[in-house]
Amino acid sequence: MSVLSDLSNALAAATENAGAGVVRVEARPRLPASGIVWSADGVIVTAHHVVEQEDNIGIGLPDGKTTTAKLVGRDPTTDLAVLRAQSTSLTTRAWADPAVLKVGHIVLALGRPGENVMATLGVVSALGDAWRTPAGGRLDRYLQTDVVMYPGFSGGPLVDASGQFIGLNTSALLRGVGLTVPVATLRSVVETLLTKGRISRGYLGVGAQPVRLPEALAKQLGQETGLLAVSVEPGGPAEKAGLFMGDTLVSLVDQPIRHLDDLLGALGGDRVGATVKARVLRGGQLRDLNVVIGERE
Amino acid sequence: MSNLIQQLNDEMSSAVEGVRKSLVEIHNGHGGAGAGTIWHSDGLIITNAHVVRGRRGLKVTLPDKRTLPARLLAHDDQHDLAALSVDATGLPTIQAGDSQLLKAGQWVMAIGHPWGIAGAVTAGIVIGEGAQLPEMAASEREWIAVSLHLRPGHSGGPLVDIDGRLVGINTMIAGPDVGMAVPAHVVRAFLHRAGLSDAVDATAKQRNNYV
Repeated sequence: MSVLSDLSNALAAATENAGAGVVRVEARPRLPASGIVWSADGVIVTAHHVVEQEDNIGIGLPDGKTTTAKLVGRDPTTDLAVLRAQSTSLTTRAWADPAVLKVGHIVLALGRPGENVMATLGVVSALGDAWRTPAGGRLDRYLQTDVVMYPGFSGGPLVDASGQFIGLNTSALLRGVGLTVPVATLRSVVETLLTKGRISRGYLGVGAQPVRLPEALAKQLGQETGLLAVSVEPGGPAEKAGLFMGDTLVSLVDQPIRHLDDLLGALGGDRVGATVKARVLRGGQLRDLNVVIGERE
Repeated sequence: MSNLIQQLNDEMSSAVEGVRKSLVEIHNGHGGAGAGTIWHSDGLIITNAHVVRGRRGLKVTLPDKRTLPARLLAHDDQHDLAALSVDATGLPTIQAGDSQLLKAGQWVMAIGHPWGIAGAVTAGIVIGEGAQLPEMAASEREWIAVSLHLRPGHSGGPLVDIDGRLVGINTMIAGPDVGMAVPAHVVRAFLHRAGLSDAVDATAKQRNNYV
C-alpha cells in the first residue's frame, strides 16, 4: 500500500468533490474570480473586492454551463459579497465542523477562474479568537493558512482533507497573508445581506487621529493614546452630543479608544440608535457625553 | 501517525532516486547551467530552449559524472523546448506519465539544479493545467501550473508524479510558490514536428509497457 499514492488520490478527490460547489464569478474586467454555492436555490457567496458590477454577473458552473447573477449585497468590512444566480438547481457541498480544525492540518484552497477547478495546498498556520479586520469588520475567529492564493482564487473555499468547506479565502483583508473568513461569519453576513441587503455600521460623524495623552492621565486611564477630533460633521451624532473639535475621545461605552481600530470596533451595527457614554478630554478635564450612535450610509 | 509520515518520506525519496538517474546538467559555456531530462536511452535529451538559446559549445554532465559535448538537434522557442543529443547509449530514462490525465490536487515533484544545487527536489500539487490558466491565458499554450518552488536551474528538469513518471518539463517561475511546466504530451508533439519520431516511437512503446 502506497501512502503517497493514497495522499495524492485523496487530495485530487477532495478537490474534485468540493469543486462541484465552486463557481466562476465574472464581475470585473479580465480576471474572473471564484465563488461558493451557498444554497441550491441560487445564492452564491464570493469576495467583495472581486465584484465590480451589480448586474449581469457571469457565473461559470462546474458542469461547464453558464448563468447570470445579480448582486444581493456586500460587506466591505469582511470582504464578502452575496449574489443570486438565475439558476435554481445548483450543487452545494458540506461545511466542516469548525471545532475540529487545528493548526497544522492539511488544507486546500480551491478556485475556478477558468473552466476547471484548480487547487493549491497548505496547512493551517494560525487559529485565533475573534478578530477585527482593518476595515472594521469582525471575524468570529482568525484563520490564517499558507496556501498560495493563485490569481482568481479570491472568493473560493478553503477545504479540509475530506473535501468539506472551512471558509472563504480572500487575499484582500490583509496584504501578503492568506486569510479565510470562517463559516460562522459567512453565515451571519449572508443571512443579514439576504434579509436587509446591507450590513449596518455605527457612525459618529468625526474625523479623528490618535494623540498621546498627558502622562498623569495615561497612568490614571491605563492607556497611552486617545483620538483627537480634528473635524466634527455638522448635524452628525457627535455634534448633537456636544462634542467639539479638539476634544480627545478616550472611551466609548466604557471601552478604551486608543486608535481608530478601537473606535471602528465600538461602532458595530448592533449599536445603531443606542445612547452610549463617550468620555472625552477637554481643557485637561475628563467629561462624559451621551451620544446616540448614528448609522453609516 | 508518525509512521505514516515516515512512510510518506520513504516513498517520496525512492520515487526521486529513480528520477535523478535521468537528470542531467547542461552547461552553456557561459558559466550558466540548466537541467535536462534524458528522453531516450540513445542520448536524446530534452531541455528548455531558453537554457540553450544562442549557445555554442554545449556540454552535458550525465548522472554518472561523464561530461560530453552535446549537439542541438532541434529547438522551438514558442514552446520553449529544445532537443539535444550526446554520444552515449544505454542511458536510464524516466517512465512516461500521461500529462493529459493530470488532476488538480494531485501530488507532483520537480527536480533540477536550483541555484546550482544538483538534483534538488521540490514537491507540491497540480494547481491546474491547460491553455486557459489565468496567468498564462495570453500565451495560448498548454501549461501545467504547480504549487511548488521552482528556482533558476530547475529549467529543463523533469516534473514527475508520485510513481516517478514524467508528466512535464519544468520551465518557468510564475511566483515564489508557483511554477509552470510544459506538459509531456507537448514535448512529444515537438519531437514529432522535429522529425525525431524514432525517439518518440521508442518512448511511446516504452510507455505502452507501463500502461
